[in-house]
Amino acid sequence: MPAFLSPLFLIGVAAAAIPIAIHLFYRRTEPVIDFAAMRYLRRAPVEHSRRRRLRELVLLALRVTALVLLALAFARPYFSDAVAAGSAPATMVLIDTSASLSAPGRFEEARARARQAIQGAPATHAIGLAAFAQASDVIAPVSQDRAGALAALAQVTPGAGATRYRAALQGAADAFKGRSGRIVVVTDLQQSGWDAASDSSIPQAIGVEVQDVGAPEANLGVMSLRVDGGDAVAVIQSFSSRAEADQVIFSVDDRRIGAVPLTLGPGATVEARVPLDGVASGALSATITDRDGYTADNVRYAVLDAADAVSLMAVTATGHPSEALYLERALAVAEGTRGFRFRPVSGTAFSALTPEALQQVGVIAVLGTRGIAQRGRERLAEFVRGGGGLLVAAGPDVDPAILKEALAGVVQTSWALRPATELTFAPDDSRHPVFRVFGGAGTLGHVGFARAVRITSPAAASVIARYSDGSPALVEERTTGGRVMVFGSDLNYRWNDFPLQPAFVPFIHETVRYLASPRASRTDYLVGELQAASAPGIVDLQGRRVAVNPDPRESDPTRMAAETFQAGISRLNAAAAQVAESRAQQQEDRQFLWWYGLLLMVVSLAAEGAIGRRLG
Amino acid sequence: MSAQAAGKRPAELRFLDPAVLARLGTLELKARAVVEGLLSGLHRSPYKGFSVEFAEYRQYLPGDDLSTIDWKVYARTDRHYVKKFEEETNVNCHLLLDVSASMGYGSQGLTKLEYGGLLASSLAFLMHRQRDAVGLTTFDDAIVTMVPPSARPSHLRSILVTLDQMTLGHKTDVSKPLHLMADGIGKRGLVVLISDLLDEPDRVVDGLRHFRFRGSEVIVFHLIDPAELTFPFERAARFRDIELGDEVMAVPSVVRQEYLDALQAAVDRYKRELGSEGIDYRLIDTSTPLDFALVSYLSTRGRRR
Repeated sequence: MPAFLSPLFLIGVAAAAIPIAIHLFYRRTEPVIDFAAMRYLRRAPVEHSRRRRLRELVLLALRVTALVLLALAFARPYFSDAVAAGSAPATMVLIDTSASLSAPGRFEEARARARQAIQGAPATHAIGLAAFAQASDVIAPVSQDRAGALAALAQVTPGAGATRYRAALQGAADAFKGRSGRIVVVTDLQQSGWDAASDSSIPQAIGVEVQDVGAPEANLGVMSLRVDGGDAVAVIQSFSSRAEADQVIFSVDDRRIGAVPLTLGPGATVEARVPLDGVASGALSATITDRDGYTADNVRYAVLDAADAVSLMAVTATGHPSEALYLERALAVAEGTRGFRFRPVSGTAFSALTPEALQQVGVIAVLGTRGIAQRGRERLAEFVRGGGGLLVAAGPDVDPAILKEALAGVVQTSWALRPATELTFAPDDSRHPVFRVFGGAGTLGHVGFARAVRITSPAAASVIARYSDGSPALVEERTTGGRVMVFGSDLNYRWNDFPLQPAFVPFIHETVRYLASPRASRTDYLVGELQAASAPGIVDLQGRRVAVNPDPRESDPTRMAAETFQAGISRLNAAAAQVAESRAQQQEDRQFLWWYGLLLMVVSLAAEGAIGRRLG
Repeated sequence: MSAQAAGKRPAELRFLDPAVLARLGTLELKARAVVEGLLSGLHRSPYKGFSVEFAEYRQYLPGDDLSTIDWKVYARTDRHYVKKFEEETNVNCHLLLDVSASMGYGSQGLTKLEYGGLLASSLAFLMHRQRDAVGLTTFDDAIVTMVPPSARPSHLRSILVTLDQMTLGHKTDVSKPLHLMADGIGKRGLVVLISDLLDEPDRVVDGLRHFRFRGSEVIVFHLIDPAELTFPFERAARFRDIELGDEVMAVPSVVRQEYLDALQAAVDRYKRELGSEGIDYRLIDTSTPLDFALVSYLSTRGRRR
């Protein structure tokens, strides 16, 4: 439905009354002249009064249209995805399917309460059903079909996701699409379900009602599983007020390798350890029995596989291999698990990549910025935020302004061209992983630079190599996600002879491995982080195995009071106006309708001018 | 077009401005002022030789009136000569005056009808003075009034009274009345049409051709107002047809040239087609003195003789 970001400007529509008033009260401004020789005048291109009146009406319409469009453009129109507020109210039943509902009998209770909520909803209300854990999933859209909602409810099962109330409430509120009504949340009121970082909100017209299904009194959970010094180590935590006894069974690829009996005091945490006996690959799991607690956290998985070859994507001007020839040759030297996967792409092709396509990439080397569109710049920032490594070779094909814009808010290091000077470079910190292999500056000192850039880095960044004039040559900036390195010259034998030097190959290998390490080492994901994995277990992620486990916070059965939950809803309501305004702003920004309004206004005025000139 | 009537307009002061003339008293007085002014001027004018009083001499014959003997000639030549006066022949002159609504237009205080009335009365006065039989017919889309030709002394007054009392008629339709009148003229004569000719040229020419077919001489005075001649308007305006009442919107600067071209084309056509029929065509700007029209008449009248 249409809406306006600045509706006060709609008052300007009243200005349309001005040309109408002029038309009504001053329209006969031309004098009337009695004339006899009309026979000759009619042969000239004159305009008969009736046709003129019609044209005056067209002119009036164009003028009014122009004024209305101007007012509309200033009011910043946009199409809201909400339906008319006059639609029938609705009841949305939100059933918790998080891992905490996997305790015996809990989900049956939840389903029964959800059924009651559906059947007991006011007759005038439409009914919708959504399941939620870390996100909301509408399984029966809002409609009058209660039987359909009940049928859908019968198919719902608990999962292994974490509870995230705010995201769930937001998803349910969105399903209302402007209706009023209520959300019935059927949940165990798990305290860890509140996520303060979320910015979701629900409208004031939607009330929230809680149906508490209760929680088990005790729970044991496998909180972590790792390999430590040739042993498999599992951490078991008790969320019980009494002592509990259990045993941890370790397996590799479904082959039992050991079991450790446990006795845990109230709230205690215990490590269980078994030797792997040289097993270097496979899917490791640790399982407990805990019949009274949550089922989903009774098993945890880990991957024993060695690290895979690092994937590097080189962004160049055209994507032709010759633009990254020396980089490609240097990486091709390594083989096996120490090897690299190299892929050159043009800036244009890079901009068209999806985030999923970058999931398997460990490092992006930017050797050229031509063709990197706005979407490509956003991808670059997302990649770094997501833990990817970025190597920037500040050569002739790299525009510092483009990268500065792309990495704004992520990286502060910048650079500028400087006059050509003969330079060499040396490590500033020889213990840095990139230079550790060299054991000193000896071999790097032979590299000659004909041109270089002047790097300006923030205090938090590390200068790990310097030119012979003392200026930074290689700067590392760590972000909250991945690592970024800026090399102050090119890597393709244009501004320096580095690619011809023996130090080039080990330098490239170590740099790429270093940048790739945060992402390449990750083999453990939480349920919900990967679209391909909705349940715990070992899954294949683009050629390599990773473990998917429940969020450990979900194992804590600590509950909050319904009042606390409602108080959280109230805070959401208070923030709703601001958030709604922010969302409206975003919608309006995307749709850009005001620009079309102004364009149409200009067209109207041009037409008015053309017709007006003919009228004299 | 206008050049004949307006552009080359002589500046002699003896010519009375039509607007001034219109302020004189009776129509008879006005006609007399025009005609006598004209005739007194003819003695010095380039139109010498067109005197209506011209006479010839011939030898006395038994039976001639003794009072006509010119004794001065007898004294000089010792022979009896009698003075033969001009025009003892009678010519039937028919004045046809258009009184349609379009003749009511006048941009400078004098309408075409008023000008046409002055012209008709002056011609009537002049004709009567020459002892020609004068008749008057007014018409719009039909014959309105008709005064048959007569040379009687009291007849001039009848014509002047008729002209004085005429009112504007309806729509212009020159052709139909012309055919009716052509059929009604029994004797060959002189036909003078005074009109703004705002009709289909084909129909006008066809009607006048009818008179020629009946053997009459024809003079056409095409009256046109100065504003019609130059279209001097500046501002965009609604032009209302004074005959039909409908309006058209026009921007003068845009339509002026096309209007003037259309008018010129119509005048050229009248000149060409009426000339080929042996009809005198005179375009008369109603701001020019009446003398020009009268001289045109005299020229044609002389040719008839």
